[in-house]
Amino acid sequence: MDVNSAYLSWEAAYRLQQGASLDLRTVPSAVGGNPETRRGIILAKSIPAKKYKIQTGETLFSAKQKCPDLIIVSPNYDLYRQCSEYLKRILTAYSPLIQQFSVDEFFLDFSGMEKLWGDPLSTAYQLKETIKEELGFTVNIGISSNKLLAKMGSELEKPDKVHTLFPEEIPTKMWPLPVEELFGVGRATSQKLRDRGIKTIGDLAQEDPTYLKRFLKSYGILLWNYANGRDNSPIIENKAIPIKGLGNSTTIPFDVDDRRTAQLVLLSLAETVGMRLRRNGFCAGLVSVSIKTSDFLYFSHQKKLYLPVDCTSAIHATACALLDELWHGQPLRHMGLRVSDLCASDFFQPSFFEQSLEKQKRIDKAIDSIRLKYGAGAVFRSAFLHSGLKPLSGGVIEFEEYPMMTSIL
Amino acid sequence: MKVYMRPIESIAWFTQDGIPHPLRYRIQTEDQTYKTVKISRIISRVEEKIAGNRMLIFRCEGEINGLLKIFELKYELSTCKWYLYKI
Repeated sequence: MDVNSAYLSWEAAYRLQQGASLDLRTVPSAVGGNPETRRGIILAKSIPAKKYKIQTGETLFSAKQKCPDLIIVSPNYDLYRQCSEYLKRILTAYSPLIQQFSVDEFFLDFSGMEKLWGDPLSTAYQLKETIKEELGFTVNIGISSNKLLAKMGSELEKPDKVHTLFPEEIPTKMWPLPVEELFGVGRATSQKLRDRGIKTIGDLAQEDPTYLKRFLKSYGILLWNYANGRDNSPIIENKAIPIKGLGNSTTIPFDVDDRRTAQLVLLSLAETVGMRLRRNGFCAGLVSVSIKTSDFLYFSHQKKLYLPVDCTSAIHATACALLDELWHGQPLRHMGLRVSDLCASDFFQPSFFEQSLEKQKRIDKAIDSIRLKYGAGAVFRSAFLHSGLKPLSGGVIEFEEYPMMTSIL
Repeated sequence: MKVYMRPIESIAWFTQDGIPHPLRYRIQTEDQTYKTVKISRIISRVEEKIAGNRMLIFRCEGEINGLLKIFELKYELSTCKWYLYKI
């Protein structure tokens, strides 16, 4: 199941409830960041805005050029989390096994549930209507025998529709679509496929897999299987998804060109990354830093640690060392910090040659519990005073249960 | 009825089960004076969960300027705010 232009629908429904006379979904409108802090991209758009060829991810400026009357509203992530929570609550009545795939996408295992609810197709219609009536927004539901086909089915024709995409319907419903529509085909892969004359999902499905493997490696086989509607990934409850790494990044409202500010930005990211790491009970064995310059050039650098850490300061120290190797003083607009190679924080191999972090761990624990109790801003490092930077940065939704976007079914 | 959606001050009593019953509300008029309306009867109460935001909608009857009128009040659970929704 997929919510139709999720952020925008939620915003529109909420505004109607608050007494607005205009339904944002009926006019060209979009949810976008704030251009003043340079987060000025389109996050979601209404269906009338789609007619102006406005695309998710483009700048507000270029969207305004395409449609001068476009209404742009700021995002409200708390509202979106609330909507997605309620949506999940409704879904739990329909099946015990639900996977939240992203903020607005869910997989629901209906095996055996027909005894309780009856035919899946009519149940899907009923579910769609319940959501529309209770929560005030529309969804698309795709029904099939595996997750890939269900997802492809939910994206066929929008909004407010139920589609089936069973294996026997693949040649008529899925193969005529352009290859970019296939789950897992992004900008880079689509270019590679188009260069070789593969334009539709059908072309890809009929291609020789060994040929695909030659230029896409094992991913080619996966895509070939997807194009033929083959996928055997199970529906997993979100608790079961193993985290492999975590990171945060931020677009800075101004260009950073001095070392001290850059280090402060890294520190604010290290605070969030460290907190998330500790909350999940991990230590990281690898730290990686990425930067994007004002010319939109992207660089990254990573380092393995001898001793796995979960301390904000230790992560920050490594990140600063990486930054010094990576950065030559170009103005920066975006910085990211990510940790990976995770292991459990209560059981790992310590090292004789590294400084003991016991004291650090204790202070991190104290700070985490203060922040949990009194809010994230209750205590912060004095380095951020008068710096114009937020003491914690990165991330939009403060809970970790599902990935914002993923390529793993 | 027209959608109005203006914040109001109100007095309500709550049952043991936590169900509010508005008794009267007060609204600021354009000339900065307060106008109090007594609710003589609650006709219906429905809960809406639009966008996951819980609100109770009360359809009420009361006397406004010597006329018995029907109006709707909204109570937002997350903020404990009352609104004059429709009149």
